[in-house]
Amino acid sequence: MSAVWRASRAAVKRRRLQAFVIGLVVLCSTTTVLLALGLLDVATSPFDKAYAAQRGPHTVAAFDPAKATPEQLAQTARRPGVTAAAGPFGQSVLDVPKGWLWMPGGSLRVVGRADPGGPVDRVEVLEGRWATAPGEIVVAWPSAGTPGTELLGTTLEVPGSAPLTVVGFAAGMGKSADAWVSPEQMTALRPATAQMLYRFSDSATQARLDAALARATAGLPEGALTSAHTHLDLRKAFSSLADAYLPFMTLFGVLGLLVSALIVGNVVSGAVVSGYRHIGVLKALGFTPNQVVAVYLAMTAVPALVGSAAGTLLGNALAGPVLRIAFSGIETGRAAVGGVSSWVSVVCLLGMPALVVLTALVPALRAHRLPTARAISAGSAPLTGRGLRVQRVLAGSRLPRAVSMGLGQPFARPGRTLLTLAAIVLGVTTVTLATGLTSTMLAYSEAGRGGGALVRVEAGGPDNGRAAPLLGDARIEERLRSLPGAAGVRARALAQVTLVGQSRPAFADFYRGDDASSAGRIAEGRMPGAAGEVVAGPAFLTQNGLRLGDRVTLALGGRQTSATVVGELIEGNARALEASWDTLLPLAPDARAVEYEVRLAPGADARAYAAAAEATDPGLRASVSDAGNTATTTVVAFSTVFTVLLSAVASLGVFNTVLLGTRERRRDLGMLKSIGMTPRQVVLMTVTSVAGVGAVGGLLGIPLGILAHRLVVDNVGVVSFPESMKAVWDAPQLSGLLLAGVAIAVMGALVPARSAARTTIAAALHTE
Amino acid sequence: MTTDHDTARQVVVRLDDVHKEYGDAKALDGVCLEIHAGDAVAVMGPSGCGKSTLLNMVAGLDRPTSGTVEVQGHDLGELNETGLALFRRRHVGMVFQFFNLIDDLPALDNVALAAQLTGTPARQARRRALELLDELGVADRRNNYPATLSGGERQRVAVARALMNRPALLLADEPTGALDSRSGEQVMDLLIDLNQMGQTLLIVTHDPELATRCASRLVEVADGRIARQSVLEATA
Repeated sequence: MSAVWRASRAAVKRRRLQAFVIGLVVLCSTTTVLLALGLLDVATSPFDKAYAAQRGPHTVAAFDPAKATPEQLAQTARRPGVTAAAGPFGQSVLDVPKGWLWMPGGSLRVVGRADPGGPVDRVEVLEGRWATAPGEIVVAWPSAGTPGTELLGTTLEVPGSAPLTVVGFAAGMGKSADAWVSPEQMTALRPATAQMLYRFSDSATQARLDAALARATAGLPEGALTSAHTHLDLRKAFSSLADAYLPFMTLFGVLGLLVSALIVGNVVSGAVVSGYRHIGVLKALGFTPNQVVAVYLAMTAVPALVGSAAGTLLGNALAGPVLRIAFSGIETGRAAVGGVSSWVSVVCLLGMPALVVLTALVPALRAHRLPTARAISAGSAPLTGRGLRVQRVLAGSRLPRAVSMGLGQPFARPGRTLLTLAAIVLGVTTVTLATGLTSTMLAYSEAGRGGGALVRVEAGGPDNGRAAPLLGDARIEERLRSLPGAAGVRARALAQVTLVGQSRPAFADFYRGDDASSAGRIAEGRMPGAAGEVVAGPAFLTQNGLRLGDRVTLALGGRQTSATVVGELIEGNARALEASWDTLLPLAPDARAVEYEVRLAPGADARAYAAAAEATDPGLRASVSDAGNTATTTVVAFSTVFTVLLSAVASLGVFNTVLLGTRERRRDLGMLKSIGMTPRQVVLMTVTSVAGVGAVGGLLGIPLGILAHRLVVDNVGVVSFPESMKAVWDAPQLSGLLLAGVAIAVMGALVPARSAARTTIAAALHTE
Repeated sequence: MTTDHDTARQVVVRLDDVHKEYGDAKALDGVCLEIHAGDAVAVMGPSGCGKSTLLNMVAGLDRPTSGTVEVQGHDLGELNETGLALFRRRHVGMVFQFFNLIDDLPALDNVALAAQLTGTPARQARRRALELLDELGVADRRNNYPATLSGGERQRVAVARALMNRPALLLADEPTGALDSRSGEQVMDLLIDLNQMGQTLLIVTHDPELATRCASRLVEVADGRIARQSVLEATA
């Protein structure tokens, strides 16, 4: 065993507590960094990651089988620029009746595929199995979760062919089909189109994708290619939702990295500086300066390696549930977004010890240059000239002496104090940001609520497969209004309308009745009050290029009506808008409500009301509305996890500072106790030495946190918070936040302070 | 050894069958000792004999394994840590071999500190500290930090601090051990003067000259026991 290693081992053993602190800080920091990097990794390109995992097609191309043979199409897969291809698959369009499965009726794009895997567009079977024989069909499930097994076995009548039985539900991010059948069944359906799925080496832009497709299909007869759509269209629709959370998540990730780096730097440089005397002794024994540096680096690297390994394990264990919560509100398709890439673990495992060693290198190199005699005397040498004037002023103040001495201590070690201050500032910034976000999100989740519980009463009909109500629309509303506990009733009709000039259809909700609480859902403008007025969420307005005051034309069943955008909702579906019932009448004069929202009086029994509503008419189904809100849960849960972790790391930084301080001042503490300083006064002095720094940290961290909060809430794409939800700060809350800095400091200082109070005086006074 | 004259004076320190063990090692082994008001007692003995442990017991810096330590009528064994701190504050002043001044405070504030801990206002404490520094001949060095004082000056400041709260008992652990001979002489003279003004002294030392010049009684310790006690004639 080399002398360097032996000395390093001895140093770690002798400084068990300090090694433990370094290990613990590195553990917490690694966990935070792993979560932050995992978050950034997942949040940066969730669609691309999920899409790549499913080998999603960059381009889905449709060909005319009368002009290009299957052999010709298969050859396109071997053209330059094509990295993978699948097909040709037969494609046919079937008509489905209104109310088949969950569909509003219309057409179903069916593709014949022998299996769900392959080099491109790996489809995941969610329920049941893949269609392998004629007469079987697998239907694409469009959203999160699964439809359940009860819909398996549903049949679809096909004109001129045997009926198709649903044997499975599947999902593919490529959206290459609405349903799949076996190739044999597809032949029976007489496909009018041949589908090819391509992945290209260059898929970054629409122009490059067009060029790549042109190269691949260059040899085909003219007119063979009938249509194509690319993954960029899908990504645009996806990212409008996922991007909404990115500012918030990125900010927390960056904060995590900053705090961790700062604390590690503080802890390690403190450990090296406090070990100058030990360095001097080693030099006196004959260790070369380089060997001394090596001893010190090894001494800090050992606990850092252990801490980073444990932190990587803990971070990976936490990452699953934390990221699942974080992305639970985002439409991620079927690919698992919750996992952390292995490179993140590797970076943490190697990067954190490297960071520790690099941080240790700077003070260790100072020790390298330090003359031996000076190094030996370091630690006990008087530190004249540092903050002495401040200490004199404090000594003459009316403050209790233990307090004034504590307040003066940060000035004796300004560098260390600044590092500690920075850690507390970032800790308070995090707490402020989290508090603000929680307040905003809670206000947001309360928007449009108020009064008592909300009961939704759904009318039966072809859309849900239940019997229609016996009572008329107006009569139902009247009955619901008359039931005990009802404070307000709002009827809703739903229609899939076309926005003239837009390619995608929109879902429009038309309301009539009491809407007293709906004003709280408006971020800007007002709710529709008359015919020809609509409102929508920010995602809808952005995607359709609309602003307040713009005119739109709604079309339904051959009728049209124009409307003005009079308000922006705080949030809303990217494909949905809202209007008053009067706007629906020109489009569908005979329309009736599909649902009634009943706001109960405060204290009314929601379950009793729901039972009474169902008893009114057998065609009604009532449910008590769930108060939960995915976005609120996501943001609040994530804020809490990061706040706890970062506050703990910041407190550990303070803990280390105080520990080093009390060890360096061991002789002073012994002397103070010998002249009558009580243990309580020792604790008071030690805690005060960082409480002042904590208070300053609070003062600096609060405005930074408020700024960060404003930055986040102004950039959450799918939610447009009104000013009332952004201005969440009040005097008691700010006072509480000011205490957060002090609390972080006191939490970190308490243990070493109590330990200092128990110092054996006799031993401390003989350390000369 | 107790005389009729001693009996008439108040007992400041009483140690009764005091034992102190550190693991298997016996630092004190059945020590009995009485010190009366106005006494100047020197404790001598070879290194590791237990003399510093004896001083620590009297100062309430350490607790005996068994036996009783009474100072000014207080049974130190019955006091908790806070009680011991308050006891030291009111009844004991300590002078150390290596001064143990706070490097960050000038001489005046080092001395005033002892009074400020008791809640004495800063101005009043500084006034008293200045008086003491003046009495000890270092008032002109009041604004100097310890690093800029000579060894003798530092020890005078330390003595001033020990006297700040007018203790019944002044304890000195090798008070001249870190000083050159001239500074040592000055400190010795200071201790003699203090004793002549009625201050009770307990001095632990290796230095026979210090013991014979400053003390009226010599206690010799060996292997944790009091080997011999003798009355000394004043030589000052």
